[in-house]
Amino acid sequence: MPNTRDIRNRIKGVKSTRQITRAMQMVATSKMKKAQDSAKSGRPYALLLSDIIVSIADEFEEITSSYFVGKPVKHRGILVIGTDKGLCGALNGNLFRNLSDVENSAKFVAVGKRASQYLSRTRRDLLADFTLPDKPTFSDIRKIVDFLLRSYDEGSIDTIEVLFTSFINTLRQEPELVRLFPLNGLDEMSEKLHQRFGVSDHEVPKDDREIIIEDREAILSELAVLYLKQEVFQLILEAQASEHSARMVAMKTATDNAGNLIDDLTLQYNRARQAAITQEILEISAASFSK
Amino acid sequence: MPISLEIVTPSETVYSELVDHVVIPTLRGKIDILPNHVPLIDKLVAGDIKVEKEGVVEYLAVGSGFIEVYSEKVSLLTDQAINVSTTEDSEIDAAIKRAEEALIEGKRSNFDQSKIDKLEAAAKFAFAQKMAKGKTR
Repeated sequence: MPNTRDIRNRIKGVKSTRQITRAMQMVATSKMKKAQDSAKSGRPYALLLSDIIVSIADEFEEITSSYFVGKPVKHRGILVIGTDKGLCGALNGNLFRNLSDVENSAKFVAVGKRASQYLSRTRRDLLADFTLPDKPTFSDIRKIVDFLLRSYDEGSIDTIEVLFTSFINTLRQEPELVRLFPLNGLDEMSEKLHQRFGVSDHEVPKDDREIIIEDREAILSELAVLYLKQEVFQLILEAQASEHSARMVAMKTATDNAGNLIDDLTLQYNRARQAAITQEILEISAASFSK
Repeated sequence: MPISLEIVTPSETVYSELVDHVVIPTLRGKIDILPNHVPLIDKLVAGDIKVEKEGVVEYLAVGSGFIEVYSEKVSLLTDQAINVSTTEDSEIDAAIKRAEEALIEGKRSNFDQSKIDKLEAAAKFAFAQKMAKGKTR
Protein backbone atom coordinates (compact mmCIF):
# COMPACT_ATOMS: atom_id res chain seq x y z
CA MET A 1 0.00 0.00 0.00
CA PRO A 2 1.58 3.29 -1.06
CA ASN A 3 1.56 5.87 1.67
CA THR A 4 -0.55 8.98 1.54
CA ARG A 5 2.28 11.38 0.99
CA ASP A 6 3.44 9.62 -2.21
CA ILE A 7 -0.06 9.70 -3.62
CA ARG A 8 -0.48 13.34 -2.74
CA ASN A 9 2.74 14.19 -4.58
CA ARG A 10 1.62 12.30 -7.66
CA ILE A 11 -1.72 14.10 -7.68
CA LYS A 12 0.13 17.39 -7.54
CA GLY A 13 2.34 16.35 -10.46
CA VAL A 14 -0.57 15.23 -12.61
CA LYS A 15 -2.44 18.43 -11.82
CA SER A 16 0.37 20.61 -13.07
CA THR A 17 0.67 18.48 -16.21
CA ARG A 18 -3.03 18.99 -16.78
CA GLN A 19 -2.58 22.72 -16.44
CA ILE A 20 0.10 22.69 -19.11
CA THR A 21 -1.84 20.56 -21.56
CA ARG A 22 -4.89 22.73 -21.03
CA ALA A 23 -2.89 25.86 -21.79
CA MET A 24 -1.51 24.22 -24.93
CA GLN A 25 -5.02 23.29 -25.95
CA MET A 26 -6.13 26.92 -25.63
CA VAL A 27 -3.17 28.16 -27.63
CA ALA A 28 -3.82 25.61 -30.38
CA THR A 29 -7.50 26.58 -30.48
CA SER A 30 -6.81 30.22 -31.10
CA LYS A 31 -4.05 29.46 -33.61
CA MET A 32 -6.35 27.06 -35.39
CA LYS A 33 -9.02 29.72 -35.80
CA LYS A 34 -6.53 32.15 -37.26
CA ALA A 35 -5.01 29.57 -39.59
CA GLN A 36 -8.46 28.53 -40.78
CA ASP A 37 -9.43 32.13 -41.47
CA SER A 38 -6.31 32.85 -43.46
CA ALA A 39 -6.68 29.60 -45.39
CA LYS A 40 -10.21 30.61 -46.30
CA SER A 41 -9.45 34.20 -47.19
CA GLY A 42 -7.05 33.14 -49.96
CA ARG A 43 -9.72 31.25 -51.83
CA PRO A 44 -11.16 33.94 -54.12
CA TYR A 45 -7.63 34.71 -55.29
CA ALA A 46 -6.95 31.08 -56.11
CA LEU A 47 -10.22 30.76 -58.01
CA LEU A 48 -9.70 33.92 -60.06
CA LEU A 49 -6.16 32.86 -60.87
CA SER A 50 -7.23 29.45 -62.11
CA ASP A 51 -10.03 31.04 -64.16
CA ILE A 52 -7.56 33.36 -65.86
CA ILE A 53 -5.16 30.51 -66.60
CA VAL A 54 -7.92 28.37 -68.05
CA SER A 55 -9.22 31.16 -70.27
CA ILE A 56 -5.72 31.99 -71.56
CA ALA A 57 -4.89 28.35 -72.17
CA ASP A 58 -8.13 27.98 -74.14
CA GLU A 59 -6.87 30.59 -76.60
CA PHE A 60 -3.80 28.58 -77.45
CA GLU A 61 -3.79 26.10 -80.28
CA GLU A 62 -0.94 24.27 -78.67
CA ILE A 63 1.02 25.10 -75.57
CA THR A 64 4.71 24.36 -75.72
CA SER A 65 5.79 25.70 -72.33
CA SER A 66 7.29 22.98 -70.16
CA TYR A 67 5.11 24.16 -67.29
CA PHE A 68 2.08 22.83 -69.11
CA VAL A 69 3.34 19.90 -71.13
CA GLY A 70 4.50 16.92 -69.14
CA LYS A 71 7.79 15.20 -69.72
CA PRO A 72 8.30 11.48 -69.19
CA VAL A 73 8.56 11.18 -65.44
CA LYS A 74 11.88 9.84 -64.23
CA HIS A 75 12.03 11.55 -60.87
CA ARG A 76 8.93 12.74 -59.14
CA GLY A 77 9.45 15.83 -57.04
CA ILE A 78 7.43 15.81 -53.85
CA LEU A 79 7.13 18.63 -51.35
CA VAL A 80 6.28 17.16 -47.95
CA ILE A 81 4.67 19.56 -45.52
CA GLY A 82 5.12 18.26 -41.99
CA THR A 83 5.15 20.10 -38.68
CA ASP A 84 8.00 21.56 -36.70
CA LYS A 85 6.77 20.41 -33.33
CA GLY A 86 5.27 17.18 -32.13
CA LEU A 87 2.38 16.73 -29.69
CA CYS A 88 -0.18 16.71 -32.44
CA GLY A 89 -1.40 13.13 -32.30
CA ALA A 90 -1.05 10.88 -35.31
CA LEU A 91 -0.86 13.76 -37.79
CA ASN A 92 2.70 13.27 -38.99
CA GLY A 93 2.51 9.48 -38.77
CA ASN A 94 -0.53 9.39 -41.02
CA LEU A 95 1.12 11.79 -43.43
CA PHE A 96 4.33 9.80 -43.73
CA ARG A 97 2.51 6.52 -44.19
CA ASN A 98 1.55 7.82 -47.64
CA LEU A 99 5.21 7.94 -48.58
CA SER A 100 5.83 4.23 -48.12
CA ASP A 101 4.44 3.30 -51.52
CA VAL A 102 6.22 6.11 -53.36
CA GLU A 103 8.98 4.69 -55.56
CA ASN A 104 12.60 5.25 -54.59
CA SER A 105 13.45 7.37 -57.62
CA ALA A 106 11.37 10.24 -56.24
CA LYS A 107 13.11 13.29 -54.81
CA PHE A 108 11.87 15.19 -51.84
CA VAL A 109 11.74 18.68 -50.43
CA ALA A 110 10.71 18.97 -46.82
CA VAL A 111 8.95 21.71 -44.89
CA GLY A 112 9.04 21.30 -41.13
CA LYS A 113 11.54 19.50 -38.94
CA ARG A 114 9.49 16.33 -38.57
CA ALA A 115 9.33 15.85 -42.32
CA SER A 116 13.06 16.27 -42.86
CA GLN A 117 13.80 13.94 -39.94
CA TYR A 118 11.56 11.26 -41.35
CA LEU A 119 12.92 11.55 -44.87
CA SER A 120 16.52 11.37 -43.81
CA ARG A 121 15.81 8.49 -41.46
CA THR A 122 14.21 6.49 -44.26
CA ARG A 123 17.13 7.37 -46.55
CA ARG A 124 15.08 9.13 -49.17
CA ASP A 125 16.59 11.54 -51.64
CA LEU A 126 16.10 14.79 -49.76
CA LEU A 127 16.98 17.77 -51.93
CA ALA A 128 16.36 20.53 -49.41
CA ASP A 129 14.52 21.26 -46.23
CA PHE A 130 12.89 24.50 -45.20
CA THR A 131 11.45 25.83 -42.00
CA LEU A 132 8.70 28.39 -41.93
CA PRO A 133 7.69 30.94 -39.32
CA ASP A 134 4.50 30.41 -37.38
CA LYS A 135 2.50 32.75 -39.58
CA PRO A 136 4.04 32.46 -43.04
CA THR A 137 3.50 35.25 -45.54
CA PHE A 138 3.48 35.09 -49.30
CA SER A 139 7.11 36.18 -49.46
CA ASP A 140 8.24 33.56 -46.93
CA ILE A 141 7.38 30.72 -49.25
CA ARG A 142 9.13 32.33 -52.19
CA LYS A 143 12.40 30.54 -51.52
CA ILE A 144 10.63 27.19 -51.52
CA VAL A 145 8.88 27.89 -54.79
CA ASP A 146 12.06 29.26 -56.37
CA PHE A 147 13.89 26.12 -55.41
CA LEU A 148 11.17 23.85 -56.79
CA LEU A 149 11.01 25.78 -60.04
CA ARG A 150 14.77 25.74 -60.48
CA SER A 151 14.90 21.99 -59.97
CA TYR A 152 12.02 21.60 -62.40
CA ASP A 153 13.66 23.79 -65.04
CA GLU A 154 16.98 22.01 -64.67
CA GLY A 155 15.21 18.71 -65.09
CA SER A 156 16.31 17.15 -61.81
CA ILE A 157 12.62 16.65 -61.02
CA ASP A 158 9.87 16.07 -63.58
CA THR A 159 6.80 16.81 -61.51
CA ILE A 160 5.99 19.08 -58.62
CA GLU A 161 3.70 17.39 -56.14
CA VAL A 162 2.70 18.34 -52.63
CA LEU A 163 1.96 15.96 -49.77
CA PHE A 164 0.12 17.73 -47.00
CA THR A 165 -2.63 17.19 -44.46
CA SER A 166 -5.82 18.61 -45.80
CA PHE A 167 -8.20 20.19 -43.37
CA ILE A 168 -11.68 18.68 -43.49
CA ASN A 169 -12.96 19.73 -40.11
CA THR A 170 -11.65 20.15 -36.60
CA LEU A 171 -11.81 16.44 -35.89
CA ARG A 172 -10.81 15.16 -39.30
CA GLN A 173 -7.64 15.82 -41.24
CA GLU A 174 -6.56 13.62 -44.09
CA PRO A 175 -3.24 13.33 -45.88
CA GLU A 176 -3.48 14.27 -49.52
CA LEU A 177 -1.07 14.22 -52.44
CA VAL A 178 -1.76 16.80 -55.15
CA ARG A 179 0.16 17.38 -58.34
CA LEU A 180 0.73 21.01 -59.30
CA PHE A 181 3.20 20.84 -62.21
CA PRO A 182 3.03 20.05 -65.10
CA LEU A 183 -0.27 21.81 -65.52
CA ASN A 184 -1.91 19.46 -67.97
CA GLY A 185 -5.58 18.76 -67.55
CA LEU A 186 -6.42 22.36 -66.70
CA ASP A 187 -10.18 21.88 -66.70
CA GLU A 188 -9.89 19.06 -64.24
CA MET A 189 -7.61 21.15 -62.05
CA SER A 190 -10.03 24.06 -62.03
CA GLU A 191 -12.92 21.76 -61.23
CA LYS A 192 -11.03 20.18 -58.36
CA LEU A 193 -10.19 23.58 -56.98
CA HIS A 194 -13.81 24.65 -57.06
CA GLN A 195 -14.80 21.40 -55.43
CA ARG A 196 -12.27 21.77 -52.67
CA PHE A 197 -13.57 25.24 -51.86
CA GLY A 198 -17.17 24.11 -52.03
CA VAL A 199 -18.03 26.37 -54.98
CA SER A 200 -19.89 23.91 -57.16
CA ASP A 201 -22.09 25.99 -59.44
CA HIS A 202 -19.40 27.99 -61.11
CA GLU A 203 -20.97 29.18 -64.33
CA VAL A 204 -18.89 31.54 -66.40
CA PRO A 205 -21.07 33.56 -68.76
CA LYS A 206 -19.84 33.02 -72.28
CA ASP A 207 -18.24 35.79 -74.24
CA ASP A 208 -17.64 34.68 -77.81
CA ARG A 209 -15.33 37.46 -78.86
CA GLU A 210 -11.68 36.64 -79.09
CA ILE A 211 -9.60 37.56 -76.08
CA ILE A 212 -6.87 40.12 -76.67
CA ILE A 213 -3.71 38.98 -75.00
CA GLU A 214 -0.44 40.78 -75.47
CA ASP A 215 2.65 38.72 -75.11
CA ARG A 216 0.76 35.55 -74.35
CA GLU A 217 3.72 33.20 -73.88
CA ALA A 218 5.22 35.46 -71.23
CA ILE A 219 1.95 36.04 -69.44
CA LEU A 220 1.14 32.36 -69.45
CA SER A 221 4.40 31.27 -67.88
CA GLU A 222 4.20 34.08 -65.36
CA LEU A 223 0.71 33.00 -64.44
CA ALA A 224 1.90 29.43 -64.07
CA VAL A 225 4.59 30.51 -61.65
CA LEU A 226 2.13 32.61 -59.72
CA TYR A 227 -0.23 29.65 -59.63
CA LEU A 228 2.45 27.40 -58.19
CA LYS A 229 3.34 30.00 -55.60
CA GLN A 230 -0.24 30.60 -54.65
CA GLU A 231 -1.09 26.89 -54.41
CA VAL A 232 1.94 26.07 -52.30
CA PHE A 233 1.02 28.96 -50.01
CA GLN A 234 -2.58 27.83 -49.77
CA LEU A 235 -1.62 24.22 -49.04
CA ILE A 236 0.83 25.31 -46.35
CA LEU A 237 -1.88 27.38 -44.69
CA GLU A 238 -4.22 24.43 -44.83
CA ALA A 239 -1.59 22.10 -43.41
CA GLN A 240 -1.13 24.54 -40.55
CA ALA A 241 -4.83 24.64 -39.84
CA SER A 242 -4.72 20.84 -39.71
CA GLU A 243 -1.71 20.86 -37.44
CA HIS A 244 -3.27 23.20 -34.94
CA SER A 245 -6.57 21.38 -34.84
CA ALA A 246 -4.82 18.02 -34.46
CA ARG A 247 -2.81 19.48 -31.61
CA MET A 248 -5.92 20.92 -30.03
CA VAL A 249 -7.64 17.53 -30.07
CA ALA A 250 -4.53 15.73 -28.80
CA MET A 251 -4.17 18.21 -25.94
CA LYS A 252 -7.83 17.98 -25.07
CA THR A 253 -7.48 14.19 -24.81
CA ALA A 254 -4.41 14.62 -22.64
CA THR A 255 -6.26 17.06 -20.38
CA ASP A 256 -9.19 14.66 -20.04
CA ASN A 257 -6.89 11.75 -19.30
CA ALA A 258 -5.12 13.76 -16.63
CA GLY A 259 -8.52 14.50 -15.09
CA ASN A 260 -9.37 10.78 -14.97
CA LEU A 261 -6.00 9.97 -13.48
CA ILE A 262 -6.51 12.59 -10.79
CA ASP A 263 -9.91 11.10 -9.93
CA ASP A 264 -8.40 7.62 -9.62
CA LEU A 265 -5.52 8.84 -7.53
CA THR A 266 -7.83 10.82 -5.26
CA LEU A 267 -9.87 7.70 -4.63
CA GLN A 268 -6.72 5.76 -3.86
CA TYR A 269 -5.54 8.53 -1.58
CA ASN A 270 -8.77 8.59 0.40
CA ARG A 271 -8.71 4.82 0.72
CA ALA A 272 -5.17 4.89 2.02
CA ARG A 273 -6.00 7.67 4.44
CA GLN A 274 -9.06 5.85 5.73
CA ALA A 275 -7.12 2.59 6.07
CA ALA A 276 -4.47 4.40 8.09
CA ILE A 277 -7.10 5.87 10.42
CA THR A 278 -8.83 2.52 10.88
CA GLN A 279 -5.49 0.93 11.58
CA GLU A 280 -4.73 3.52 14.23
CA ILE A 281 -8.11 3.10 15.96
CA LEU A 282 -7.65 -0.66 15.94
CA GLU A 283 -4.26 -0.30 17.53
CA ILE A 284 -5.52 2.08 20.22
CA SER A 285 -8.53 -0.06 21.11
CA ALA A 286 -6.45 -3.23 21.08
CA ALA A 287 -4.02 -1.57 23.43
CA SER A 288 -6.78 -0.46 25.85
CA PHE A 289 -8.37 -3.95 25.84
CA SER A 290 -5.17 -5.65 26.77
CA LYS A 291 -4.79 -3.60 29.95
CA MET B 1 -24.98 49.76 -68.43
CA PRO B 2 -22.45 49.31 -65.66
CA ILE B 3 -19.64 46.76 -65.57
CA SER B 4 -18.61 44.85 -62.49
CA LEU B 5 -15.17 45.46 -61.04
CA GLU B 6 -13.51 43.03 -58.71
CA ILE B 7 -10.12 43.48 -57.03
CA VAL B 8 -8.79 40.34 -55.39
CA THR B 9 -5.64 40.00 -53.26
CA PRO B 10 -4.28 36.89 -51.54
CA SER B 11 -5.70 38.02 -48.23
CA GLU B 12 -9.14 39.27 -49.28
CA THR B 13 -11.48 40.58 -51.95
CA VAL B 14 -10.83 44.28 -51.62
CA TYR B 15 -13.40 45.71 -53.98
CA SER B 16 -16.43 44.25 -55.69
CA GLU B 17 -18.94 46.65 -57.16
CA LEU B 18 -20.73 47.76 -60.31
CA VAL B 19 -19.01 50.77 -61.87
CA ASP B 20 -19.40 52.94 -64.98
CA HIS B 21 -15.83 52.80 -66.15
CA VAL B 22 -12.37 52.19 -64.79
CA VAL B 23 -8.86 53.31 -65.80
CA ILE B 24 -6.16 50.71 -65.17
CA PRO B 25 -2.36 50.96 -65.46
CA THR B 26 -0.83 48.20 -67.61
CA LEU B 27 2.63 47.53 -68.96
CA ARG B 28 1.84 49.47 -72.11
CA GLY B 29 0.22 52.44 -70.40
CA LYS B 30 -3.17 53.19 -68.95
CA ILE B 31 -6.29 51.69 -70.44
CA ASP B 32 -9.81 52.92 -69.92
CA ILE B 33 -12.32 50.12 -69.72
CA LEU B 34 -15.88 51.00 -70.63
CA PRO B 35 -18.91 48.74 -70.84
CA ASN B 36 -18.88 46.34 -73.78
CA HIS B 37 -15.11 46.16 -73.84
CA VAL B 38 -13.58 43.26 -75.77
CA PRO B 39 -12.20 40.42 -73.65
CA LEU B 40 -8.65 41.12 -72.58
CA ILE B 41 -5.93 39.69 -70.42
CA ASP B 42 -2.88 41.78 -69.57
CA LYS B 43 -0.35 42.53 -66.90
CA LEU B 44 -1.15 45.06 -64.22
CA VAL B 45 1.60 47.32 -62.94
CA ALA B 46 1.71 49.04 -59.57
CA GLY B 47 -0.13 52.34 -59.78
CA ASP B 48 -3.42 54.08 -59.29
CA ILE B 49 -6.81 53.00 -60.55
CA LYS B 50 -9.51 55.51 -61.34
CA VAL B 51 -13.02 54.24 -60.78
CA GLU B 52 -16.10 56.19 -61.83
CA LYS B 53 -19.36 55.16 -60.34
CA GLU B 54 -22.58 57.16 -60.84
CA GLY B 55 -20.59 60.31 -61.44
CA VAL B 56 -18.44 59.89 -58.32
CA VAL B 57 -14.73 59.38 -59.00
CA GLU B 58 -12.67 57.22 -56.65
CA TYR B 59 -8.99 56.36 -56.65
CA LEU B 60 -7.46 53.09 -55.51
CA ALA B 61 -3.83 52.08 -55.32
CA VAL B 62 -2.84 48.60 -56.45
CA GLY B 63 0.33 46.53 -56.62
CA SER B 64 1.37 44.53 -59.67
CA GLY B 65 -0.59 41.57 -61.00
CA PHE B 66 -2.98 40.64 -63.81
CA ILE B 67 -6.12 42.01 -65.42
CA GLU B 68 -8.89 40.02 -66.97
CA VAL B 69 -11.79 41.60 -68.81
CA TYR B 70 -14.40 39.03 -69.72
CA SER B 71 -18.14 39.30 -70.37
CA GLU B 72 -18.75 42.66 -68.67
CA LYS B 73 -16.56 41.80 -65.72
CA VAL B 74 -13.21 43.34 -64.87
CA SER B 75 -11.11 41.25 -62.50
CA LEU B 76 -7.86 42.48 -61.04
CA LEU B 77 -5.54 39.94 -59.51
CA THR B 78 -2.96 41.78 -57.45
CA ASP B 79 -0.73 41.33 -54.45
CA GLN B 80 -2.13 44.35 -52.65
CA ALA B 81 -4.76 47.04 -53.01
CA ILE B 82 -6.05 49.91 -50.92
CA ASN B 83 -8.68 52.62 -51.09
CA VAL B 84 -6.65 55.77 -50.67
CA SER B 85 -9.45 58.02 -49.46
CA THR B 86 -9.40 56.14 -46.17
CA THR B 87 -5.69 56.59 -45.48
CA GLU B 88 -3.91 59.65 -44.15
CA ASP B 89 -1.29 61.56 -46.15
CA SER B 90 1.25 61.41 -43.35
CA GLU B 91 0.86 57.64 -43.12
CA ILE B 92 1.60 57.26 -46.80
CA ASP B 93 4.63 59.56 -46.66
CA ALA B 94 5.95 57.66 -43.68
CA ALA B 95 5.41 54.37 -45.51
CA ILE B 96 7.30 55.62 -48.56
CA LYS B 97 10.13 56.86 -46.42
CA ARG B 98 10.34 53.62 -44.47
CA ALA B 99 10.25 51.53 -47.62
CA GLU B 100 12.93 53.56 -49.37
CA GLU B 101 15.23 53.56 -46.38
CA ALA B 102 14.82 49.85 -45.92
CA LEU B 103 15.50 49.32 -49.60
CA ILE B 104 18.73 51.30 -49.56
CA GLU B 105 19.79 49.58 -46.38
CA GLY B 106 18.89 46.21 -47.84
CA LYS B 107 20.86 46.74 -51.05
CA ARG B 108 23.90 47.88 -49.13
CA SER B 109 23.96 45.02 -46.69
CA ASN B 110 23.36 42.40 -49.37
CA PHE B 111 20.05 40.92 -48.32
CA ASP B 112 18.84 37.93 -50.21
CA GLN B 113 16.93 38.71 -53.38
CA SER B 114 13.51 37.76 -52.05
CA LYS B 115 13.72 40.38 -49.32
CA ILE B 116 14.79 43.10 -51.71
CA ASP B 117 11.96 42.24 -54.08
CA LYS B 118 9.53 42.42 -51.23
CA LEU B 119 10.81 45.83 -50.18
CA GLU B 120 10.76 47.08 -53.73
CA ALA B 121 7.15 46.02 -54.14
CA ALA B 122 6.31 47.78 -50.88
CA ALA B 123 8.01 50.98 -52.02
CA LYS B 124 6.25 50.95 -55.38
CA PHE B 125 2.94 50.33 -53.72
CA ALA B 126 3.45 53.12 -51.23
CA PHE B 127 4.31 55.45 -54.08
CA ALA B 128 1.22 54.40 -56.02
CA GLN B 129 -0.84 55.31 -52.98
CA LYS B 130 0.72 58.74 -52.94
CA MET B 131 -0.07 59.30 -56.58
CA ALA B 132 -3.62 58.10 -56.24
CA LYS B 133 -4.08 60.28 -53.18
CA GLY B 134 -2.75 63.31 -54.99
CA LYS B 135 -5.48 62.97 -57.59
CA THR B 136 -8.34 62.94 -55.13
CA ARG B 137 -7.71 66.58 -54.31
